[in-house]
Amino acid sequence: MSGVEGGPNYSVEVEGLRVQFGDFIAVKDISFNVNAGEIFGFLGANGAGKTTTIRVLCGLLEPNLGDVRVMGLNPKQGLDAIKSRVGYMSQRFTLYDDLTVDENLSFAASLRKLTREKFSRRKKDLLEFIGFERPLNTLVKNLPGGLKQQVSLCAATLHDPDIVFLDEPTAGVTPTYRARFWSLIRSMAASGKTVFVTTHYMDEAEQCDRIALMRDGSLIALDSPGGLKRSTFPEPIYEISSSREKLDEFWFESIKKRPEILKIQPHGLRYHAQLSKGVVEGQLRELVSSGCVVRVIPPSLEDVFIRLVEGGLP
Amino acid sequence: MNLKRVLSIAQKEVYHIVRDPFTLAMALGLPLILVTIFGLAIEFNMKEIGISVYDGDKSVASRSLLRAFSSSDYFHLNHTDRLPEAISILDHEQSKAALLIEPGFEKNLGSEKTAQAQILIDGADNSTVGVILGYLSGVQNQFGRNVGQTLSGSTAPFRTRYLFNPELNSRWFTVPGLIVIVVAILSILLTALTIAREWENGSMELLLSTPVRPIEIVIGKLLPYSLLGVGSVVFVYGLARVAFGVPFVGSHWFYGLSVLLFISAYLAQGLLISVVTRNQQLSMQLALISGLLPSVLLSGFVFPIENMPRFFHYLTSIFPAKWFMIISRSLFLKGSEPHELIKPFVALVVLNVVLMGVATKLFKKDVEP
Ligand SMILES: Nc1ncnc2c1ncn2[C@@H]1O[C@H](COP(=O)(O)OP(=O)(O)OP(=O)(O)O)[C@@H](O)[C@H]1O
Ligand SMILES: [Mg+2]
Repeated sequence: MSGVEGGPNYSVEVEGLRVQFGDFIAVKDISFNVNAGEIFGFLGANGAGKTTTIRVLCGLLEPNLGDVRVMGLNPKQGLDAIKSRVGYMSQRFTLYDDLTVDENLSFAASLRKLTREKFSRRKKDLLEFIGFERPLNTLVKNLPGGLKQQVSLCAATLHDPDIVFLDEPTAGVTPTYRARFWSLIRSMAASGKTVFVTTHYMDEAEQCDRIALMRDGSLIALDSPGGLKRSTFPEPIYEISSSREKLDEFWFESIKKRPEILKIQPHGLRYHAQLSKGVVEGQLRELVSSGCVVRVIPPSLEDVFIRLVEGGLP
Repeated sequence: MNLKRVLSIAQKEVYHIVRDPFTLAMALGLPLILVTIFGLAIEFNMKEIGISVYDGDKSVASRSLLRAFSSSDYFHLNHTDRLPEAISILDHEQSKAALLIEPGFEKNLGSEKTAQAQILIDGADNSTVGVILGYLSGVQNQFGRNVGQTLSGSTAPFRTRYLFNPELNSRWFTVPGLIVIVVAILSILLTALTIAREWENGSMELLLSTPVRPIEIVIGKLLPYSLLGVGSVVFVYGLARVAFGVPFVGSHWFYGLSVLLFISAYLAQGLLISVVTRNQQLSMQLALISGLLPSVLLSGFVFPIENMPRFFHYLTSIFPAKWFMIISRSLFLKGSEPHELIKPFVALVVLNVVLMGVATKLFKKDVEP
């Protein structure tokens, strides 16, 4: 089942993975595969077990149970082969603040035993890739946070890994730098690398090819963003808004009690509603006053996650 | 193990050192400050120590003893005619010590009997007692040479160690011991901090996500501090010899070997601390308590171990500082042959093996998945 030659091409295969810290089970027997060349989003609330899973995949933690393969390699048969094909950007630490950009990069290169020629070529390519224009002897602490993350991405990919694990690479970064970072992620994936990324931002999750959702150590959903929306919300969601009259608390309380309405939630000045079984759109239009605008909207990923996390297994 | 990787880890560490004012101050400033304080301050305080004298014998021998005292710059003799007066001056703190020569001193000196000359020291002034004792033993030695034989031990609790500083120079005694303190700070404290820092900020994990070996991390990180340690020893040694004129009569290669052993034992202790705590602040505290304090208080640097209760004789043996202090002072002042220092040397080797073994084992266990 490995993606070495022939057969389905997986960058990561996880089978019944369990990680335990003392009595506490941080990762509960999860299984999933990551396709080669995809952007794989790994989502979940704080403490869901994302970082723990990544640490196992990078060979930093030994699982209590289960099988793991990265690039077709089993960690039990030696970590060095895996480590040379994996890039890791950790959540807690990225670059040494008291070292310059150049020093950080050449330190990373020497840990990977890159030759001088390969290092200078990769450095040039990567700095061009991220569009780095500051002097290379800038101390990292003088870089804006978003730029620091980009340089860190360079450090993590100097050795040209086949897969990169990015653990919340855009946490605490300005929106402009976030967008920039994601364009880098997309180009990396386009060039054939697998990107395994965790994030708490929904707009970033939308850009993933597939999303895995973790809750309390379990994997509760795994699909493309579109697929997740369809499977979580098979019935349409209606947005109700009005420019003329105010849809106030009182209106909300009264319509909520109607048997035709399965669920209704305020979203800013608008409302998102789902209808009970058998109720059609026309009935909803009759229910609300003529001044209201009713339209079908796709569910946001946020809706999906709220429902999945609140409702347990779909 | 890959040498290039080790060296680049060491190089990174050097960047950390030179860019952190605290580390830099510790590394460069501290040896200088300590040597200056201990070297100069003790010298100023300890000149012209008042000693009240009661000479009940008034013989050639007793005058020879007094001459041994007055010929040095360190003592100022206050002669008294009556015994109680000599003691009362001591009570009023005009003198730090009283020298009482009993009648029959000379006669007993010639015979097999014990010659009686008592020395009372103002024990309230704790800091000067050891120094005075050191001077006194030098005087005793000189007197022995004057009269052609040594006094027996009954005059005062003289310690043979002090005999090897015949010019009564306290710096000679202090400065070799200072090396222990400097190495304790540079090796234990700084290494404990630097490795704990990698744990604390999470960068250790990033290092380990590369094919780098744990042993390469350890050696790479310790290398600059061992060089710093050796450098500081050379510095203090040079200062001791040139600025303070401390003699070095022992074997240099044996001393060098002992220095390396001592430094590596302390590096291992620093590594051990950082593995256990993984936290800079805790590391700092543990390094001070388990490293610096014993090096100052339980090494024989400030308080002679011989004067400590029995329990401490055993306790101090687990600190490398005690053994290195013995070697250091012996080689500087006494010119001991290496075979005379087998015991402290072997002790250093054993402590090294134990500390290194435990530290690297724990570290390896700690970082392996
Ligand atoms: N070394 C450890 N020892 C004990 N518990 C741990 C350890 N590492 C993680 N945990 C616990 O395991 C759980 C999962 O942690 P993990 O870091 O994987 O979560 P996460 O999904 O990455 O969260 P976040 O979004 O906050 O990064 C948490 O409850 C955490 O407290
Ligand atoms: Mg995490």
